[in-house]
Amino acid sequence: METISLNDDLMAPNVISDPHGYYRTLREAEPIHWNARWGGWVLTGYNEVVEVLRDSLNFSSDRMGFLAQELTQEEQESIAPIFKILSYWMVFRDPPEHTALRMLLNKHFTPIAIERYRPMVRKIVQKTLDKVLAKGKIDFVKDFAYEVPMTVILELIGAPDLDTEKIKEWSEKLGVFFFIKADEPRRREIACEGINALVDYITPLIEQKRERPGIDLISLLLSAEEAGSITANDVLATCVLLVFGGHETTMNLIANGTMAFINHPDQWDKFQQKPELLKKAVEELLRYDGSVKSTVRWAKEDTQVGNTLIKKGDRLLVSLSGANRDPHQFTDPNGLDIERNPNLHVAFAHGIHVCLGASLARMEVEEAFAGLISRIQCPELVEGAQLEYYPSVVHRAIKELPVYIKPLIK
Amino acid sequence: MENIKVSVDLNKCVGSQLCIMFSPTVFERDGNGQSKIVNRNGANLAEILSTAEQCPQCAIKVENTQTGEVLFPPPELAF
Repeated sequence: METISLNDDLMAPNVISDPHGYYRTLREAEPIHWNARWGGWVLTGYNEVVEVLRDSLNFSSDRMGFLAQELTQEEQESIAPIFKILSYWMVFRDPPEHTALRMLLNKHFTPIAIERYRPMVRKIVQKTLDKVLAKGKIDFVKDFAYEVPMTVILELIGAPDLDTEKIKEWSEKLGVFFFIKADEPRRREIACEGINALVDYITPLIEQKRERPGIDLISLLLSAEEAGSITANDVLATCVLLVFGGHETTMNLIANGTMAFINHPDQWDKFQQKPELLKKAVEELLRYDGSVKSTVRWAKEDTQVGNTLIKKGDRLLVSLSGANRDPHQFTDPNGLDIERNPNLHVAFAHGIHVCLGASLARMEVEEAFAGLISRIQCPELVEGAQLEYYPSVVHRAIKELPVYIKPLIK
Repeated sequence: MENIKVSVDLNKCVGSQLCIMFSPTVFERDGNGQSKIVNRNGANLAEILSTAEQCPQCAIKVENTQTGEVLFPPPELAF
């Protein structure tokens, strides 16, 4: 075997700041690479990524089940609150348990079903644009990208008055468990604090909905529980999942998309001249710098992927960002082309775990950019701004995006 | 169902298998993990339309071959 010197530190500063460059190096050397430091395979080729994601028979998503095998009894007990919730998350379950929950929830997240939220999103976007235009100099992440998704998810679960700041704080704590440095000594403790707080906050809300059901998702889950198709654990865990997963990724998509345009002002100009490209432009933003860089699978059996035999029990880091820049699939993959078609990217993953909220995210990002291009010039970075990304293997999340917002002069 | 054509756009299908979950008599996995039509008469038109709606990619197209009318997806959803 050829000896290649590949950096296996997935949290190295240059890997966090420029994941695309890192994944490109990996893909060109070994599209399926054994990362000794992480103890698993890293997949960066489009074909390999798609093959694994679409094969739920041989590749499991049962994160908590595989984690339990790695931990001692004592370690497991130390994170019992996390096990109690995350074991019931649809994203970490295999069929047949996954299938019942997915079929139940999917009906409410179809492209048609989410259209009912579009007018609401449009209003939030216009209101937020009024505010940022009045300010002129803003942090795009906090002042614009955050507003839309958080308001929408609260509306969906039928609780518009929840304290979004608290949810954000606890979600970040829980996120430490997955996304942030494995060498944070208190990571499990912090994550437990986060999940306990979320559960304590959401449980009374579920009880309220049990007494006075509405037309929201919590009430829907409760009626499925009454019908016996899901359990009380499923209801609680899914509510935590919706609140936790419902806002941050979309916020990052809007911020990353804006950053992509700042670096490609010609595409912004073209978009303003041809707003009918909206849907294609959003697909390209998803491909170019999506908010989820990777996802994890475990081999249930010895399975051949490309030229590599993956052994039963091996884990795989499936790089969505790597696949989305593979030149074997995409012409000029490092260029931003808002007219790209076809564009079968993997930003929402492929296979049975394809993002439940994909259509909702698409609609929110469409409305965000339709609003932006109709009212402002391409945002300009504040001089001397140092852009930093959260140290995460999973999320592509910019900490702050200081920009000038100027009205479009028509 | 004589005049109804159902097709899967492989440039859109991400292999979510939702169509197979909702209408297993009509759809099946192909060798690439995408969906294919195994029996277009496996369900009535109402079920096929409701299944087509479940696809996050709007990859399933339902057409009336006699009139040329596209029954799904509506033009505003296509991307």
